[in-house]
Amino acid sequence: MNRRRLLAASAAAALPLPALAQTRPEKLVYVGDNGPWHWVMVEEVAPAFEKATGIKIDFTLLPVDPWNARLKAELSAGSGGIDIVQWSVGMAGWISPHMMDHEALASEIMAKDPSWDWPDFLGGSKRAATYEGKMVGIPYRITTGIMHYQHALLEQAGIAKLPETFDELRKAAIATNTPPGRYGFGLSGRQGPALMSAFLPFLYSCGGDLLDLKTGEILINKPNAVAALDFWAGLVTRDKVVPPEAMTWEYDEIVAGGQSDRYAMAETFAPYGTLINDPKISKTGGKWAWATMPGQTAKEQGRTWVDGHFLAIPKYTRNKDWSLAFIQMACSKDWMRRSMVRGNAPPRGSVLRDPEMVSLIGWPPVAAAAIETGVPTPAQPVFPTLLLSLRTGLSQALLGQKTARQALDDVAVDWQRGLRRAGIKQG
Amino acid sequence: MAALTPVGSSRRRRTEAFTVYAALIALTVVFLFPLVWIVGLSLKTRLQVFASPPLFLWRPTFENYAATLARADFGQAFVNSLLVSAGAVSLSLVVGVPAAYAMARFRFAGRNVLFFALLSMRMLPPIAVLIPMYVLFNAFGLTTTRTSVVLAYTTFSLPLVVWIMRGFFEDLPRELEESAWVDGASRLQAFVRVVLPLIKPGLVAACILCLQLAWNDFLFATVLTNNATRTLPVLMAAFSGGDTSTDWGGMTASGVLVILPVILFSFAAQRHLVAGLSSGAVKG
Amino acid sequence: MGGTTEAAASGRIARRPLIRGRRRMIWADRNFAGLAILPTTLLMLLVFGIPLLFSAWLSLEAWSPDQTLFGGTFAGRANYQDLLTDPEFTGSLILTLEYTAAVVAAELGVGLGIALLLNIDLPWIGLFRTVLIVPMMITPVVAAFCWKLLLDPDHGVINYFIRQHIVWLGQPETALLSVAVVNIWQNAPYVAILLLAGLRSLPHEPVEAAQIDGASRLQMFWHITLPLLRPYLLVALLLRMIFEFRSFDNVYVMTSGGPANATLVLSMYTYLASFVRFDLSLGSAAAWMMMLISLLMCGCFILLVRRREAN
Repeated sequence: MNRRRLLAASAAAALPLPALAQTRPEKLVYVGDNGPWHWVMVEEVAPAFEKATGIKIDFTLLPVDPWNARLKAELSAGSGGIDIVQWSVGMAGWISPHMMDHEALASEIMAKDPSWDWPDFLGGSKRAATYEGKMVGIPYRITTGIMHYQHALLEQAGIAKLPETFDELRKAAIATNTPPGRYGFGLSGRQGPALMSAFLPFLYSCGGDLLDLKTGEILINKPNAVAALDFWAGLVTRDKVVPPEAMTWEYDEIVAGGQSDRYAMAETFAPYGTLINDPKISKTGGKWAWATMPGQTAKEQGRTWVDGHFLAIPKYTRNKDWSLAFIQMACSKDWMRRSMVRGNAPPRGSVLRDPEMVSLIGWPPVAAAAIETGVPTPAQPVFPTLLLSLRTGLSQALLGQKTARQALDDVAVDWQRGLRRAGIKQG
Repeated sequence: MAALTPVGSSRRRRTEAFTVYAALIALTVVFLFPLVWIVGLSLKTRLQVFASPPLFLWRPTFENYAATLARADFGQAFVNSLLVSAGAVSLSLVVGVPAAYAMARFRFAGRNVLFFALLSMRMLPPIAVLIPMYVLFNAFGLTTTRTSVVLAYTTFSLPLVVWIMRGFFEDLPRELEESAWVDGASRLQAFVRVVLPLIKPGLVAACILCLQLAWNDFLFATVLTNNATRTLPVLMAAFSGGDTSTDWGGMTASGVLVILPVILFSFAAQRHLVAGLSSGAVKG
Repeated sequence: MGGTTEAAASGRIARRPLIRGRRRMIWADRNFAGLAILPTTLLMLLVFGIPLLFSAWLSLEAWSPDQTLFGGTFAGRANYQDLLTDPEFTGSLILTLEYTAAVVAAELGVGLGIALLLNIDLPWIGLFRTVLIVPMMITPVVAAFCWKLLLDPDHGVINYFIRQHIVWLGQPETALLSVAVVNIWQNAPYVAILLLAGLRSLPHEPVEAAQIDGASRLQMFWHITLPLLRPYLLVALLLRMIFEFRSFDNVYVMTSGGPANATLVLSMYTYLASFVRFDLSLGSAAAWMMMLISLLMCGCFILLVRRREAN
């Protein structure tokens, strides 16, 4: 608590107040999602900011769908009601025209405070924040999918090194599979947004891809993709190494599953490592190790997805300078380090590689490595229209209703219709 | 029909009463068990919640309630829910009751059209108007205000009020107001002083159903509110997100606190509810 | 707002003293009906009618992923065509109709049973009447969360009772069943109250006459009570059909349409189309289809009632 207060005070003192052509508003409206990772921003940064400037941050934190709806409706109406937008990679395409140029804004901050250290932000996170050459926001959180292992269990099963290929992964899962108590492999299998983050690493690590938006060519039913789904769904249907209730798991549930020792390995969000490995709330606390994705036949084929959240200032706000001051503060080194302790994965190299953090949390270097080669979530506005049928197809394959080939062929047919509807030519 | 059949011996009647009680108790157990179990979970510590086999007897703890009530956002959401529900209920009644009266008593052009329009609005899936309504409120600078939520809820409860109240007004003998009119009272005076006092049960029923609608809505509140103006169901949904999902005690405690007011209110007004539902419904 | 007109009217009347005896009808009296319905009409037109028109336009507007909300051109029935050729939509439509039929039938059956029991005058029956309506008052989102905990495969009390490890929400058949059971649990009491009110208002004579004729209980129920109860049953049927047809909250919380679309009811489809695909045109078209089907149901109902009245 003392440490926290100290941090707050120091950050507030370091904040150069806008010099201020702009009159000071009473509050800044922040619209974001209600994920459990911005508590530092809500409970610590915002009060510190209010203390320093007298401006209250009015947080509107919503479940994912209403968050999107709110931003879509308000921004496309050109409303000045939002001062700070928090968005994630998949939204870049449609949100970009409404946001300021953040490369310029970052330089503006740097001009005032060189110690803010813009080059410290990981290249991968800046790429993810960029859409068609424009930097649409300042990275605040990066997420990526990595492998989580209960190391001791693998060793007991006679597996000395962490799996590097799909085949080794499968063998390790079978070797550590001791149903009905604990299973070999956990995944988020509910037909919802988490399903994509569970499947994409396998797709990419198999050399597969979704579609080529430049040519409109659909790649989701090509042999690589089919092989990926066949392996991934096979873990459930053939090898039976996945807990049956994983079909209802989304984000919280896979964390809870790890905490209650339902699986020996899982591929999921890197920052979940903190929650699963915390002995205070987890039965398996302290037992976990992390690694990047195995490849289909060799380790270097391993790829994963990269996503993240960005703070951005819309073109329509009247309080740009104040919004920028808040973003500057929230994304400062001190506050990002603090946010990491409470479950965030900040995009600053100095924080992620901080030895104190590495020893405290463990997974950050793995996440940093995964981000280097990771594939950002597709940001083209058409992509969300294609997501739903892929979710359906994945769910059908996991339940064994369709083979990988049938499921993905059906998805491809739906995507053809979707692309046609969106007016995109197909190659 | 209301009493057990008078034929047969008193012994037979007693066995019948016994069967009826047994069936009722079985039904009550089935229908209330989920709720009782949830209340039970809310009185357990984290360890007790996940105990295997489940605990059926334990020393109750109130820590979950204390933790929930100590949250500033819970109190705020509770107040928001109260304000929004009260606003929606009173606006619907003030606006809808005179309309229902007019429809029950007076012939005017477009009466059937209006009634059918109101009815079909009752049929409409609310999702259809969610985004357009948002855009509309946005144009008037009303988004994230409680007013916008009150207005949205009112449009859903208005048809309900008109439907129920029209039934009540039609049941009332015309002579009552007519004699007041003859005595020189204006239409409005007759309505307020003579008619309204007689349909109190209907008002109570309409009030409960509107309250239930407003208190329980989730979809509109998620889109139309922000952290300062959000209502309890929205807060509930936020509770369950993230690393709190394993906090079953906290979730159930807040759930119980959310549903408690409506349940108490409906207990208090249960008799009117029965009357209201049937009157409005069958006359429709 | 609408309310001010009403207030103005009442103000005008209140200022006039109450005169005994014959009195000229003032303007407000002559137009009383108009004034009384004005606020309702205005409010509904403004807050409901305009958004409804918006959504009608959206459903007829050409769509592309990067246009603004109302930036498209008129596209006729293109969106409806796309909708009707989408196997996910047609699948969802069939699922919703089947689901609605099954759930409503169960609700009516259970509700009628409860109503018949509650209609018997015994000491303490009032207590049961009060207690049994509790489920219908519960906030649907909260109810769905609670059932999720009860149905939890590992720690849920239901699996403990049946001593099995069933993943209720993870398999197509059980997921649909679970969602249906929650709805029945919440709404059968509603049907029961409605039918109870009906039973209380039935005339006694036919039953007494039948008793004298020595009819059995079952015969009396089948030939007398049930036909008399018909209007109430029809109303319950209609209301539940409309509401089950658009049920959303518990699907959203419990399964969000999965697994493998097993619980993808129409309002979930509409929600996903509008908020995940962000294809508001398709979403609005789906919403309008839902509304048309609801109106059709309602129309059939009114025809039924009319025919009965004519007989």
